[in-house]
Amino acid sequence: MSASKASRLGEETRIEKVNAELVVLTYGTIVAQICKDFENDYAEVNKQLDKMGYNIGLRLIEDYLAKSNTMRRCSNFRETAEMIAKVGFKIFLNVTPTITNWTSDNKQFSLVFDENPLADFVELPDDGRAQEQLWFSNILCGVLRGALEMVQMQVETHFISDVLRGNDTTEMRVTLVRYIDDELPPEDD
Amino acid sequence: MSNHLPAGGNGGGGRAGDSGLRYPSNGKTIYHRPLNRTKTAELSKAAFAYLFAEMVSYAQRRVTGIQELEKRLNLQGHPIGLKLLDLLLFREPPRSQLRPLNIIALLHFIKINVWTHLFGRQADRLEKSSNPDTPDEFMIIDNEPLVNAYISVPKEMSQLNCAAFAAGIIEGVCDGAGFPARVTAHTVGDTAGEGGEMWPGRTVFLVKFQPEVLEREALIGAKS
Amino acid sequence: MSYYFAIIGTQDNPLFEYDFGTSKQGGDGMARFTEQARQLNQFIIHSSLDIVEEVQWTNGQMYLKLIDRFFTSYISCFLTASNIKFLLLHQPPSTSSSSSALPHPSSSGSSSTSTLVQSSHHPPTSASTSSLSVIPSLSTLTGGSNSSTPTLIGGGGTSSRTSTSIAANPTSPQTEEAIRNFFAEVYENYVKAIMSPFYKTNMEIRSPVFRARVAAAGRKYL
Repeated sequence: MSASKASRLGEETRIEKVNAELVVLTYGTIVAQICKDFENDYAEVNKQLDKMGYNIGLRLIEDYLAKSNTMRRCSNFRETAEMIAKVGFKIFLNVTPTITNWTSDNKQFSLVFDENPLADFVELPDDGRAQEQLWFSNILCGVLRGALEMVQMQVETHFISDVLRGNDTTEMRVTLVRYIDDELPPEDD
Repeated sequence: MSNHLPAGGNGGGGRAGDSGLRYPSNGKTIYHRPLNRTKTAELSKAAFAYLFAEMVSYAQRRVTGIQELEKRLNLQGHPIGLKLLDLLLFREPPRSQLRPLNIIALLHFIKINVWTHLFGRQADRLEKSSNPDTPDEFMIIDNEPLVNAYISVPKEMSQLNCAAFAAGIIEGVCDGAGFPARVTAHTVGDTAGEGGEMWPGRTVFLVKFQPEVLEREALIGAKS
Repeated sequence: MSYYFAIIGTQDNPLFEYDFGTSKQGGDGMARFTEQARQLNQFIIHSSLDIVEEVQWTNGQMYLKLIDRFFTSYISCFLTASNIKFLLLHQPPSTSSSSSALPHPSSSGSSSTSTLVQSSHHPPTSASTSSLSVIPSLSTLTGGSNSSTPTLIGGGGTSSRTSTSIAANPTSPQTEEAIRNFFAEVYENYVKAIMSPFYKTNMEIRSPVFRARVAAAGRKYL
């Protein structure tokens, strides 16, 4: 599928909407609560957020498949990347991250977020650690991992920069680990 | 003055202070964005539903019993109410930028401003307790709370009302505005008699104000 | 004109403090408070909290205008939706420019400073001082007209000499408007600060960006 077709799909898809700030504030209160529960052990908070995202990704993919009107599997990882950025994130977060920094083996790329609604109202705690350790939007890594697993792709995802940490961009690195054989059920987390 | 901040600032120019936070050189911080930018922005309902469901199941793993779970959902809504109170009043045109001074004004603010912003419509009704023994109780009624629409509560937890989250938001607005209250969500759909069958999810948010709120209100009423 | 701006939490706890001077008419933006006045400012601000509490539940406006006066220090107030207080103490330059206009006790110990506050601000003498300054602000709120404000406190030579100058006349309509704009801009930034999920009520606001924004609002309007 061509890139332009992919982006048109994202825009045309008719989805029931809610106020963005309801979502953003709810996410904020979730992160704050997890930080409290784990006494600001940010490594653990990242893990919890990733896990939540993974659970969401597993379910989100059904939505995605229904709304993007395509049951066809992407033919290669580059096409998958297009669909993630232009349809998946468009549906989920109403943003379209830029795809960049492909490795030569076409197995690794970056998603650069010019906009990140989840972080709209956020300033990280001034405790000398949060900016080193917390990936505030880490739930997105899990969402991607879970969703792709449902379409037989095992990927590894992590943020490598975040404007909340004082970086100039927010960038997520996505690596294809392997295609999961159809016979094997997706592993349970 | 032991409770005073250590440094009073030293005139002119922004003092970096003892904050260790770093900021992006391109100025992408909350302070550089207009507050109204996302006022009418929308996201998919599914995104909210999934997020909310995850919040509930995360909370569920950390509590025992439905009451504790509802209490926790309430706690997570509370800071949202505190923030919305200032955000929504900030967005009012200057003429109607008024702090709510009495219970009715406050409840209207919640029924109209808060509800419309969060859920795209007003709450359905406001009621005052008809019981003379509980003049401190008020009800905000929603026939079909959004937060319940997406959560299929397991049978063994049929008493759980996820609207406890919205109750927490209301409580945050009340507390922030200086009307400390306890707010709880109750599903009344099936037992409500007339109209009850049409709205099986009808939820009553019971707002119980603390005594000092009513005392103050009586005092102000007597003065004016 | 020198300014001392404070944000006071619901437990009367300070959340943010900043002092600065006028940037209008060649002002360099530096506060001209003496060390002693600087300390006194905090007491003055705190003692006007009582007056804020008096009007808090009868006046739904956020900008309460001038609410108190202590010698040549004037206090303007803005109340947020969640009843956090923004207080701005403004003090026009005195004729002898090096000193603050407050009477200096010869000894500079802190105990004498607090006695000064106790004796001259609160009891009998102060009752008239504070009511004098409260009346114009209340009447403007209810009546809408503020034509009488400058003359009520006036009396001294400074106000008539440069009546339109924000820097010199703390009671002029221009000053009132300038402070309104200052508060509005600070409020916008305050709301941004508290929107963060990590911000809890009554937490000190330590963001350097916030501080820079308050400074910018001061330069722009005052």
